[in-house]
Amino acid sequence: MNDVPGIWTHARLLLRKDLMTEWRTKERLSPMVFFVLLVLLVYNFAFELGGAALWEIGPGVLWSSFVFASLFGLQRTFAAESTNDCLDALLAAPVERGALYLAKMMGNVLFLVGVQLLTLPLFGLFFNLTPGLYLLPLLVVFLLGSASVASIGTLFAAMASHSRLREFLLPLLVLPVLIPALISCVAATGFILAAGIPGRAVQFWPEELTLHVGMLALFAVVFSTLAWMLFDFVIEE
Amino acid sequence: MTRILAVILSLAMLAAVGAVFLHAPTEVQMGDVQRIFYFHVSSALSAAACYFLVFLGSVLYLRTRKDRWDRFAGVSAELGVLFSAFVLFSGPLWARPIWGVFWRWEPRLTTMLITFALYVAYLMVRSYGDPGERTQRFAAVVGIVAFVNVPLVHYSINMWAADQQLHPPKVELDPAMQQTKLICYLAFGCLVTLLMRLRLNQERQAARLQALATTTHQ
Amino acid sequence: MQLCVDNVHKRFGSTVALAGVDLDVGADTHLLLAGANGAGKTTLLRLLAGLTGPSDGRVTIGGEDPRRSTQQRWRLGLLSHQTLLYDDLSAAENLRFFAGLYGLGADIVGPALADVDLTDQAAARVGGFSRGMKQRLALARATLHAPEVLLLDEPFTGLDRRSAGTLSTRLLMRTREAGVSSLLVTHNVVEAAQFVNRVVVLRGGRIVCDEPWNTDDGERLQALCDHHQELAVHE
Repeated sequence: MNDVPGIWTHARLLLRKDLMTEWRTKERLSPMVFFVLLVLLVYNFAFELGGAALWEIGPGVLWSSFVFASLFGLQRTFAAESTNDCLDALLAAPVERGALYLAKMMGNVLFLVGVQLLTLPLFGLFFNLTPGLYLLPLLVVFLLGSASVASIGTLFAAMASHSRLREFLLPLLVLPVLIPALISCVAATGFILAAGIPGRAVQFWPEELTLHVGMLALFAVVFSTLAWMLFDFVIEE
Repeated sequence: MTRILAVILSLAMLAAVGAVFLHAPTEVQMGDVQRIFYFHVSSALSAAACYFLVFLGSVLYLRTRKDRWDRFAGVSAELGVLFSAFVLFSGPLWARPIWGVFWRWEPRLTTMLITFALYVAYLMVRSYGDPGERTQRFAAVVGIVAFVNVPLVHYSINMWAADQQLHPPKVELDPAMQQTKLICYLAFGCLVTLLMRLRLNQERQAARLQALATTTHQ
Repeated sequence: MQLCVDNVHKRFGSTVALAGVDLDVGADTHLLLAGANGAGKTTLLRLLAGLTGPSDGRVTIGGEDPRRSTQQRWRLGLLSHQTLLYDDLSAAENLRFFAGLYGLGADIVGPALADVDLTDQAAARVGGFSRGMKQRLALARATLHAPEVLLLDEPFTGLDRRSAGTLSTRLLMRTREAGVSSLLVTHNVVEAAQFVNRVVVLRGGRIVCDEPWNTDDGERLQALCDHHQELAVHE
């Protein structure tokens, strides 16, 4: 029998191809980072950033900008495959559809975390955030939050690239589904930032964090599994 | 069959309205406004039932690829959205005299609002997609995702707005009130059944017409 | 290696692309799929490649649904009028990527590029290639894993006479290998005569002609296809 590589090998190859393309073209990460900057600018005129605002609206501003930027980036998930009908080559190849989902989802997670890490200093700047080790748990929230967005966003991105509505469909579908994850991201970020309030005893892992991190992990696992199972139905013509 | 259902529904609704205004006693704290409760809660239950039917129809469509399940899911979603809209409409009507505000971001209402948005998105996928098998597939996928999301929404909204809870967690009802509630549930059950039947018939006829039109063009 | 199309219907919304098609293709069969635009040729090809599924009926390759079986898809090679290549990667990178998907090592890339005269373009970005070069690379990509079945969807589109000739020669070499079957969809019926040993004409989503073909006489083949398509005009 032919030596058909397994699903993880395929996912790795596809992901590597996407990362290589992004490294050359930089056409996903840069616009997303720039978009976050623009959204922050808009928020500055909508609210008073800085000072006490950090604890009240900081997490909300942070995560709403990430979510909007992620919608921006999710649109591009299958862009490379639409050009020259490369998707046909992938579907005709001995690649399991699930491998394509895994690769695209992991790619989206990497791009989203990348945007978050690159733009965190910007937030720190506008919100006068004191740098410190107490911010480290944010990495966990970033990772799980991105996984939550990517799990469902990748599935809907595959649909949106085929549909007549295209760009409009993606946000309409993704935003309502994401709300539970968004709630936990904002709450978790709030607890982490609160730990940095001057004068407070620094808590590396606030207790309330566990509940929300748990929720995010649940969301990411449930929806990646579901999306992986349903992906076959949306990727074929 | 439809006629029989219509007759049963008329009787049930008459009974329900009668029970709500005549049989159920006036609530001590809220007064007559409380009577909305019976329709409000019945609508919420009907909406939830419809959303489950969307999930069922979607799963069955993906397994069998039979158009009837797609129609079933679509009609269920329409009715679910309709009943949700009524809940979101009757809620504020009730809230204003009792809580003093039209809207509070409290768990039940917020969950209902998000669920409403989810299924409106589902209906948009159906109506804005090019008619055909692909849109049916996409709609089925959205129908499944939406339903799986509902318990998560419910749980996390409750977590988020626990302090905002305005709905009493468990209500002790007077026996007459309990009976009225059950009669209303029954009446709404008949309503859902009849509406589904009527809409499904309509959709089935439309599909038949479409099939005929296609054949004659060849 | 049997390709079977069993009473297949395919609808796109209210458009019927295929209306009850039966087709069996065995080894060493080189089939021309002819027909007017919208007759259903590309749809049939796409069904066999596992890119889409039938509305009714069954499509099998080696007895299995190509959409479900990675083993059976391993045996297919797809060449289309679109290049199916990544413009932002180099020729070598494209081939290395696809080789990896088929479980082949990177050592196969060099010979594959040499086969299509693109060795000196190995590190060049595919986006900058001419149409002819892209199609040659696409052929290399499609045949990296020595497929038993070649599915060719209008591969000569957009090629000038010389490039088309070069592609023809290389295609001919591949298809003459033992055990290989091919399905060719093309409007260039005259050129196709040298490739094929069977002709199937589709009209209105149905097969109206299915005959063996054993000459290189392109004009006669064109006449045969025209004849079956003209009947539509008179109906």
